[in-house]
Amino acid sequence: MSAPFTKAADRGLAGCHTCGRVSPVTLGRCPRCHSKLHLRKPASIEGTIALMAAAIALYIPSHLLPVMTATEIGAVTQSTIVEGMITFWQTGAYPIALVIFVASILIPLLKIIALSWLCAAATGHVHPSPTALGRIYLLTELLGRWSMIDIFVVGILVSVLQLGNYMTIKPGPGALAFAGVVVLTMLAAMRFEPRLLWDRLDEMNATPPTQPTDPES
Amino acid sequence: MLAWPKPPGTARRSACHFCDTLHEFEPVDEGMAARCARCGAPLYQNRPASLARASAFSLAALVLMALAHVFPFLTMDAAGMRRELTLFGAASALMDEGAPLLGASVVLFTMLTPLMLAAGMFYVCTPLMFGRAAPGARTTTRWMYLSEPWNMVEVFLLGVIVSLLKLAKVADVQFGIGFWAFAGVMLCMAGAVAGIDREELWDRLEVAES
Repeated sequence: MSAPFTKAADRGLAGCHTCGRVSPVTLGRCPRCHSKLHLRKPASIEGTIALMAAAIALYIPSHLLPVMTATEIGAVTQSTIVEGMITFWQTGAYPIALVIFVASILIPLLKIIALSWLCAAATGHVHPSPTALGRIYLLTELLGRWSMIDIFVVGILVSVLQLGNYMTIKPGPGALAFAGVVVLTMLAAMRFEPRLLWDRLDEMNATPPTQPTDPES
Repeated sequence: MLAWPKPPGTARRSACHFCDTLHEFEPVDEGMAARCARCGAPLYQNRPASLARASAFSLAALVLMALAHVFPFLTMDAAGMRRELTLFGAASALMDEGAPLLGASVVLFTMLTPLMLAAGMFYVCTPLMFGRAAPGARTTTRWMYLSEPWNMVEVFLLGVIVSLLKLAKVADVQFGIGFWAFAGVMLCMAGAVAGIDREELWDRLEVAES
């Protein structure tokens, strides 16, 4: 059985990434919003992997370097994201500790794992099951922004806790690295092309059943 | 109302952004959504009173945004000093304390993108209610949707709550008008963006300009 669904790409049509208008890809640019037209995002897997590699490279320093430095009556304490979370946990603020754990540690890691899995599926290294992977992709895009929370907390504390000799707070290098992780994983998720999953699935379904019935084509 | 006016030609078809399945445009009732026949991803939705809702919510978001910039988010009394937190304060403190990129990202994600979204939505949707396209409406709409994923109003709000709990240990802290105004911005932006389907807005723009 041949596919009962027609793909826009098979007709040389491209749905615009920005406005959704379906136009012949030969136009080059969308006649409605002037975005570039592609059947599939160009070099999507390579781009996703490159951005992800950069995110992984920054993930390590983002958790090893301090996100802020507090000077309290002359005493200097530096704290990383994990140390901040542990402090919350020890003082009994469990929900906050959990929020930080999920937003700062779990989400970036899960995003990197999910995107690697998606890339492996889109290149045919793992069986592409688009419905399940689709949900994963949607979740990856949805949750990404929440990791910025720690950066905003640093900004807020730096702004408010300027109490002269009593207490001052400065942002640490870890914060910049972590902001880089968030932005890079968001860009990586945007770069990924979910339609490739369906393309692989169609290829896999097309080869075995058509051979006995239709050996020539 | 079955559906909004569609421009002629290939725009009468839609391709699923998720699996690329080609569909002929089927009008749907108000409040209903069309889903991809193959993968079930939403194709387009026919929102009731879409242009009015998008304009109203985005105008409300702009007004609340102005309030959020004028009034403090947090007020803190500690060591005989009173400190107030504002959006600009958080951004400029980061810039002054040697983290200019972080300060810029606060400006971008909590000030510029929400402003771009709300102002753009208002600028584009209000004239469309009268069947007119504002000058530069297509460019505005394009930038609006490009900036959408970078809007982090709700993330900043959660950040304020976390900070408040952190500060409560060392000082007397209270939420200010700015916080509640910004929470209103979050709700109104959600209402504005969800108020009109992307496909509908672009179709109406194309029809109005032709």
